[in-house]
Amino acid sequence: MTDMLTKGGADASVPSSGVGARSKGRAPATRRRSSMRAPGFPWILPALVVSSGLVYFCIGYNGWVSLLDWNGISPIQTFVGIDNYLQAFADPIFWGTLQHTLIYFVVTFVAQTVLGIVLAVLLHSRVRLAGLYKVIIFVPVVLAPAIMAPVFRIMFAGDGPVNGFLEAIGLGFIAQPWLAQSSTALGVLMIMQIWNTTGISFILFYAAISQVEHDVIEAARLDGAGNIRIVWSIVVPSVRGTIVALAMLGAIGTLKLFDIPYLVTSGGPNFATEFLGTYIYRQAVPLGNVGYASALSIILLVLALGMALVLSIRGNEERQAKKGAVR
Amino acid sequence: MLEAHTRRGKVTLQLIVTLLAIPFLIPLVVMVQGSLAGKGWGNYLAVLSLPQLPSFFLNSAIISVLTIALALLCTLLAAFGFAKLHIRGKEFFFWVLLAALTLPEIVLVTPLFVTATTTNLYNTYWAVVLPLAALQIPFTILITRTFMAGIPDALIEAARIDGANTWRAFWHVVLPLTRPIAAAVIVLTLISAWNAYLLPLIFLQDANSQVVTQVPSFFQGQYNDDQTKVLASAVISAIPIVVAYLCLQKLFERGLSAGALK
Repeated sequence: MTDMLTKGGADASVPSSGVGARSKGRAPATRRRSSMRAPGFPWILPALVVSSGLVYFCIGYNGWVSLLDWNGISPIQTFVGIDNYLQAFADPIFWGTLQHTLIYFVVTFVAQTVLGIVLAVLLHSRVRLAGLYKVIIFVPVVLAPAIMAPVFRIMFAGDGPVNGFLEAIGLGFIAQPWLAQSSTALGVLMIMQIWNTTGISFILFYAAISQVEHDVIEAARLDGAGNIRIVWSIVVPSVRGTIVALAMLGAIGTLKLFDIPYLVTSGGPNFATEFLGTYIYRQAVPLGNVGYASALSIILLVLALGMALVLSIRGNEERQAKKGAVR
Repeated sequence: MLEAHTRRGKVTLQLIVTLLAIPFLIPLVVMVQGSLAGKGWGNYLAVLSLPQLPSFFLNSAIISVLTIALALLCTLLAAFGFAKLHIRGKEFFFWVLLAALTLPEIVLVTPLFVTATTTNLYNTYWAVVLPLAALQIPFTILITRTFMAGIPDALIEAARIDGANTWRAFWHVVLPLTRPIAAAVIVLTLISAWNAYLLPLIFLQDANSQVVTQVPSFFQGQYNDDQTKVLASAVISAIPIVVAYLCLQKLFERGLSAGALK
């Protein structure tokens, strides 16, 4: 992802570097321009100090502490080398978090993409009250998971509205304590995630679809293409770039996941909804295994960077399409 | 996009949109309905009469304003530097900044917790504001740099020929043109600061320095079994950001769709 983003940034900076390249050929211009352009570094210094300073300090600190056996407070720090990493690779809960991350990402990404495209297409059609529907779909995005977590907990509680509704429509036999059993708790979190962030996919697809040429659609219609055919053969290919961008957002977002599992299930029952984020928190804060938590943090960081690189290599082919779609 | 010529087709389209949109409303309906169960508006009165409540909102507002100010300042300066000024090793520094885009905030927890407790930043606004801004800045610089690169060099050159130095050219020529992207940066930072949960959870343990996202857990502690009051507190916490969104709908959508491109 970062790679793709830098490329985007680099493309955007072409005008300025173009000027620089040209001025190399012309000495007087160079002198004037470079004296004007000379002190650029102070301008980026505050950002480097605030952002990179803090971020790299933390990464370095994690790297050091990940080699220790330490509870975070005690003056006794025991150097244990890569033991914390070995412990992680032998830890079934750690592997469980990766499995949950993968399932969670695939399900929420597919659901949000399909829902986002369908809603964007529908709201680009002649539908009444389109503005109102847009607001309804987008409002969840601005609501913090921390605010909505109690609502979802109550909805899916054993005696909550979801089971009440199932009983009312004669499906009482499906009713179950959704959050209290390992088999269904992850599903509830995914439902909350889809509810929470489909609005973002929707808004991006909505913007991308407004770029699709009406002539192309008219031509297809004259050739006898139906509604579904138009969506599948014209709309979906033209928003592929957006799909790739959303895949990256979703992949990184799922690796970072903390608020929703922590607030709705606290990683339970029996670690069935434990994610790397909640597991690091559990190890660092309540359990005080700061060394182990740091090792997990470094693993998370490597995974996130690796994922970004892999996806950006895949995404490079789509980059042109994305630019067309996003702007 | 889709066309329906018959009346039946039009009704079907409308029906599909409605059926798909309803699930987005259900949690909100459950929330409001649940908050009015039992004592009705009495739940809201009970929540609102809690003396700590104003400080939750005040703290969130202060943290949001400080984070926005810091992030916006760093972003505008750095984006201008990256887009228009000569910097040796520019791409290297840009990469250094961008690598932080993938950084999960949980990775900051251990180091910052240890640092904050030893430097008296613990329980202060800065313990939350600094990491929030640090995580926000790489992305806002990315989008702002792209935007600033689109401003013609000729405009800045013209200002210089008129005798303006770099700072004046930035202040009088570039900044006024940057308003749309600055608005997106503000909205993006506002949402992440206002909705932040993990960092305040860890760094603001003091009862007087808690923020809006901690309100529901706070009320869960206060009214163990009384879900109606927990829901009422959730509604009250949700209102400011929803009102802000409804008033500035276009800005929010632009900001968040820029944000989604992370």
